[in-house]
Amino acid sequence: MFFVTYLRRELRRRMRQAIFIALGLAVGVGLVVTVIATSNGVKKAQSAVLQGLYGVGTDVTVTGAAPGPPKTGSKPPKNSQTFQISPNGAQICSNGHCHNAAGQKVDNLGSQYAPINASSVANVARLHGVTAAAGGLALNDTQISIPKNFGQAGSPLPQPNSFTVDGADIGHPLLGPLSSGTITSGHSFTKAESDSDVAVVDSGYAKASKLKVGSTVTIDKVKFTVIGIVSQPQSGSPPDIYIPLARAQAIGSGPGGSLKGKVNTIYVTAASASDIPAVQKEISKLLPGTTVTTASSLASQVTGSLSSTAKLANELGKWLSILVLIAAFAVASLLTMAAVSRRVRDFGTLKALGWRSRRIMAQVMGESVVLGIIGGAVGVGLGLAGAALITRFASKLSATIPTASGLHFQSVGPGGSQSSSPTAEHNLLVPLHASVTLDVIALAVLLAVAGGVLAGIFGSWRIGRLRPADALRRVE
Amino acid sequence: MYKLTGVNKIYRKGRQAVPAVRDLDLVIEDGEWLAVQGRTGHGKTTLLQILGGLDRPTSGIVEFDGQDLAQLREAQVTRLRAVSIGFIFQTFNLVPTLSAAENVEAALIPLHPGLAERRRRVTAALESVGLGDRARHLPSELSGGQQQRVAIARALVKEPKVLLADEPTGNLDEGTRDELIDLLEQLWRGLGLTLVLVTHDSSLARRAQRVGVMSKGRLTIRPDARRTAEPQTAPAPGPA
Repeated sequence: MFFVTYLRRELRRRMRQAIFIALGLAVGVGLVVTVIATSNGVKKAQSAVLQGLYGVGTDVTVTGAAPGPPKTGSKPPKNSQTFQISPNGAQICSNGHCHNAAGQKVDNLGSQYAPINASSVANVARLHGVTAAAGGLALNDTQISIPKNFGQAGSPLPQPNSFTVDGADIGHPLLGPLSSGTITSGHSFTKAESDSDVAVVDSGYAKASKLKVGSTVTIDKVKFTVIGIVSQPQSGSPPDIYIPLARAQAIGSGPGGSLKGKVNTIYVTAASASDIPAVQKEISKLLPGTTVTTASSLASQVTGSLSSTAKLANELGKWLSILVLIAAFAVASLLTMAAVSRRVRDFGTLKALGWRSRRIMAQVMGESVVLGIIGGAVGVGLGLAGAALITRFASKLSATIPTASGLHFQSVGPGGSQSSSPTAEHNLLVPLHASVTLDVIALAVLLAVAGGVLAGIFGSWRIGRLRPADALRRVE
Repeated sequence: MYKLTGVNKIYRKGRQAVPAVRDLDLVIEDGEWLAVQGRTGHGKTTLLQILGGLDRPTSGIVEFDGQDLAQLREAQVTRLRAVSIGFIFQTFNLVPTLSAAENVEAALIPLHPGLAERRRRVTAALESVGLGDRARHLPSELSGGQQQRVAIARALVKEPKVLLADEPTGNLDEGTRDELIDLLEQLWRGLGLTLVLVTHDSSLARRAQRVGVMSKGRLTIRPDARRTAEPQTAPAPGPA
């Protein structure tokens, strides 16, 4: 076909220039692919972190407000335990009664968030756009062994040992942090065990604490038997131990005292992604004072290199890609215009032969589009290589998730008393897998072809205005 | 074929006006061979470009087969060139990346014949100029004379009514020049074309039926031009 023959021959004639244009487009497109792949990888990492926190299938989470640090000198909540350090030594106090804490072991299972009535779970489940709702208790067990000589000169400070405990709703196995895990040993909870002192332990915690099926763990001075080991997604931040919600409610404590009939987290599944914003709004109205978050808003709470990489990919990466693409388009356009200038005599001759301007323009556009397609193909290759290099050589990203410990400390001294509710942080290392999807490849090729078309438009603009006599006069 | 009345072409360069063709009246009959002589820069090529619709006169009428080229739209003039007018240029003007056959084929593209028809006509055109065996050669692989033959084949493949040749032998040596002009004359006789040939070579001009001389944009038909060339099929030319 004449069109293809002429096109091929012309590209071959100016091979160096054609390669330069195609490479320029390839670099621009490759950068776009790499940045999007990295951004996708970061989003996946974030989503995996969040899934580990809240489990697969959770679209909205409702949590009671995290208790802030208590005011200095304020009274501790009723039935709560406080630990006081004063010149007289260490004391454990509850409801105004204190006793010497030296040689004692403090074990407190506290709520990370303010409690919510368990009946609210059913109210949330009835909202329009909600498919399912389940309650849970996200708790922290803190154990401190106070030495017998504590308070005396030279006595060491007690080191707390804490682990996270999740009170899981056995009636909704598909919601909550346990839902994203895989049982690797033993079994998960059965309905018959909903009020039993049994526990499922996270595989990482089990390995570190040398626990297996049949082992015993002590939570708030109650012994639980390990019935299963669960493995969560690597990038998640799972609780260390899971116990039935009823048992967690029975033995845990939070601001205001007992957690009986309470939850501090509600996991909600929406009917569809488009329902999520409306569901979030409805829950906020139904439960004022709670924190209602979706996956996208939770992502902003995660700090560490995961979040800074996300910002880098989304902001710097995005703008850098756009700038490089614009530069590539500009270079392609300028080179195409220069090539058209050099072929003015040829085009003038073709016009003299009776070729219409649009036929000649189509020829120039065809050459540019072919270069765009070649640039796109090479660009996709470069992008895939870039993504593979990032996956291979990028360090694991750190994700830090702040949590409240549920413990209340108070120190008393000559200068007065000081109170604090220490927070705990989960630090995770999350691998980065920069993934290139089909839609990214399609976008890359589209961008490159667009670059080719743009260059063709600029190049062929002159042809429409070219008068054959002027073109031929140049030579003669 | 052509009737030019009061044709002027003025080029403007800033405030300066350069008249390339002045008050030109000319009639070219069907099948006639007209040579236009003159020194460089006196308007010969401009006249040829006006005859070919490559340029429009500043004023005047350029009738081609009863149509005023100056009044037609660009698309109509382009179509006319595609169908009825063949060009031969001094510098051959072959597309360097296309073979001899493909260069000839380029002239048929605007007419949209089928592939088989295109190939047949291209082969016949190349053979008529003695280059049937050079169809796949690129212009860079052909001599100057051969390139001009390809250009002639390209001009004639569409079976035009008129052939406009602008110094076709200007870039050729003497021997090749004579061969080429013999070929042109032979084709003119055989096909009954109207041929307008621009040249500064008097020996070539004398072979035409009529000779006009362009001087400072004005055309004067020489009354003493030898009409050595008599077409076999064209009607006898009128007085100069």
